[in-house]
Amino acid sequence: MTTQGTMMKKAVLTLIFILAFAQTGFAEWPQIHGFVEMDYGVKVSDDNTKRDNYNLFEQRLQLRANHNFSGDNYLAQKGASLSFKGDFTVDEYYNGKTGFELRELNLALTPMDIVDLKIGRQALTWGTGELLFINDMFPKDYVSFLIGRDNEYLKKPSDAVKVSIYPKFANIDLVAIPHFAPNTIPKGDRLSFFDTFQKGIAGVNSERRLIDPPFQMSNNEYALRVYRNFGSNEAALYFFHGFDKNPRSYKNQAARELYYEPMDVYGGSLRGPFASGIGNIEVGYIRSRDDSKGNLRTVENSSFKTMMGYSKDLGNDLNVGFQYMYEQKLDYDDYRDNLLTNDYRWDQRRHLLTNRIVKLFKNQTVRVSLFTFYSPTDNDGYVRPVVAYDINDQWKVTFGANLPWGEDENTEFGQMKRNKNIYTRIRYSF
Amino acid sequence: MKKIFLMLTVLALSANFAFAQNVETIVNKANLVSYYASRDGRSSVKMTITDSQGRERIRQFKILRLNIKDGEEQKFYVYFEKPTDVARMTYMVWKNIAQDDDRWMYLPALDLVRRISASDKRSSFVGSHFVYEDVSGRGVYADDHELLGEEDGLYKIKNTPKETQGVEFAYYLVWIDAKNFIPMKAEYYNKNGDLVRTIEALEVQDVDGHPTVVRSRAIDVERGGETVMEFSNVQYDIGLADNIFTERYLRKPPMQWIQP
Repeated sequence: MTTQGTMMKKAVLTLIFILAFAQTGFAEWPQIHGFVEMDYGVKVSDDNTKRDNYNLFEQRLQLRANHNFSGDNYLAQKGASLSFKGDFTVDEYYNGKTGFELRELNLALTPMDIVDLKIGRQALTWGTGELLFINDMFPKDYVSFLIGRDNEYLKKPSDAVKVSIYPKFANIDLVAIPHFAPNTIPKGDRLSFFDTFQKGIAGVNSERRLIDPPFQMSNNEYALRVYRNFGSNEAALYFFHGFDKNPRSYKNQAARELYYEPMDVYGGSLRGPFASGIGNIEVGYIRSRDDSKGNLRTVENSSFKTMMGYSKDLGNDLNVGFQYMYEQKLDYDDYRDNLLTNDYRWDQRRHLLTNRIVKLFKNQTVRVSLFTFYSPTDNDGYVRPVVAYDINDQWKVTFGANLPWGEDENTEFGQMKRNKNIYTRIRYSF
Repeated sequence: MKKIFLMLTVLALSANFAFAQNVETIVNKANLVSYYASRDGRSSVKMTITDSQGRERIRQFKILRLNIKDGEEQKFYVYFEKPTDVARMTYMVWKNIAQDDDRWMYLPALDLVRRISASDKRSSFVGSHFVYEDVSGRGVYADDHELLGEEDGLYKIKNTPKETQGVEFAYYLVWIDAKNFIPMKAEYYNKNGDLVRTIEALEVQDVDGHPTVVRSRAIDVERGGETVMEFSNVQYDIGLADNIFTERYLRKPPMQWIQP
């Protein structure tokens, strides 16, 4: 992250604070809620990461507070609220390194009847897939996901301004993100991955460098969603202008530099009741702005993605869901023709299937779930069993496993196959 | 002789018909009084769930309701407050008559609006001993109704589901107050005729002229455990707008309606 970016972030957040508190003092301090937890994940396979015996071992304290403005001032009249959420961590993986992550600090208000505004650090999600994303181009933390932190941590917060407008004919969300935040992906120290420079699964030996887009106005990211209901069915159109969240293109191969190529995404989705369950379909066309013709071998091509899903309640607190996703690299002939002999040739097509089964027991205090990814074209997959037990309203204990597998080392899940773990988490909420 | 026989038959038939009319009227009135009082309303709800081993859990939420058509379509909005790990989660139901209900849930930690398949209305509501249908009402068309008689100012009605699939009981008996049509007790029986579950109104109050059950209890007779549901700050006719029940407010709770 650039210092300029950090400064900008701090400035924005400070501004929010000042704005919020200058208008009105707290009549009463907001209630603080949150949790403390301990996570421990044993690694069951050997690789070249920092540690051989575990990849998750940390304590975490999350604090949350919300304040709804009241009284006779602008913010109260506009139904404003301030939300804060922050995590303090002690990470034993890095020898007890302490950290603080600001997960949320935002001001939400309704300046006009048909306009909502949310400014500051916030989680952003849209789209219809479950753990599959086409039009949700907001940053994710796949390291948290793969080592078994709570699902909440798959979502990385964005520093953004979100304007929602509600005219009669549709609902419109417009998000502006001044500072690019990439996905958090394995980089070798905690999780091993396929490194194209090492030509194999790499750990701490990875030397690649990831280059963020420069922090400047022209690199702002924008995301737009226009949606409405037709009876029980929800339809949405999406547009995104920004950068790939994964570094998939080469900036400078000799210097082992990868970058996040600029892209636009155009898409749409439908969701509604279908065959006594819920059906959804989503499509997206991803235009690679640096290589729209597909003839640059170092830059990711444009692509097309589609998925469909179905979930159904089978009674007795048993719910199942299925999804199918198809991805195709466009201008594949141009891509192939421009490759050099030593280059990796990525496939043109990928099919991916997912299955989710959730069953609740004992008055819904025990939740048993299994999420499975399987790609017949990549010959890889990822199995995620989780058992969670609410001992009471405060204590919760979770057991789970992350089991990625694959025939090859360079596929999405196959490259993760040495990161298998079994984890447990105990959490006290207050 | 023939004439007399014919007359008797007609009489018997019409008496039967009047009786049938009567039971449908009672059931319809009870449905309206229990679930459709006034045009809209709001309330704070506290559920105390006690499992078969005596362990207690608390669920606390605010509920908003709007009738679209009396006795038929309705919209519900639920804002969770306790336990703290689900605090600020919101939940929305569009109750339909001709098709499955539409349900959405919003998880603020993920900013995720999840569509929930709603074919199973007999599953537990938030882990309590009440099922979805106890909270939002079971369609009067779902059962055949038979008036068994009147006991102590209560109509005793036997309800047999027309569709037995996905229903955990074979029939249930309901005692409806003959004066205000509030159902005071329900007993659910399995196909062997064993009592499996009861629901009873523990306290009924008059709120703005609407008889309102403010405390009720569901008991799992079969496996043990019970839930007491308490309503407070009940208000009717507050002027809720239809657009409260949309994704906009699912993501940004309408605090002016949620805070009493």
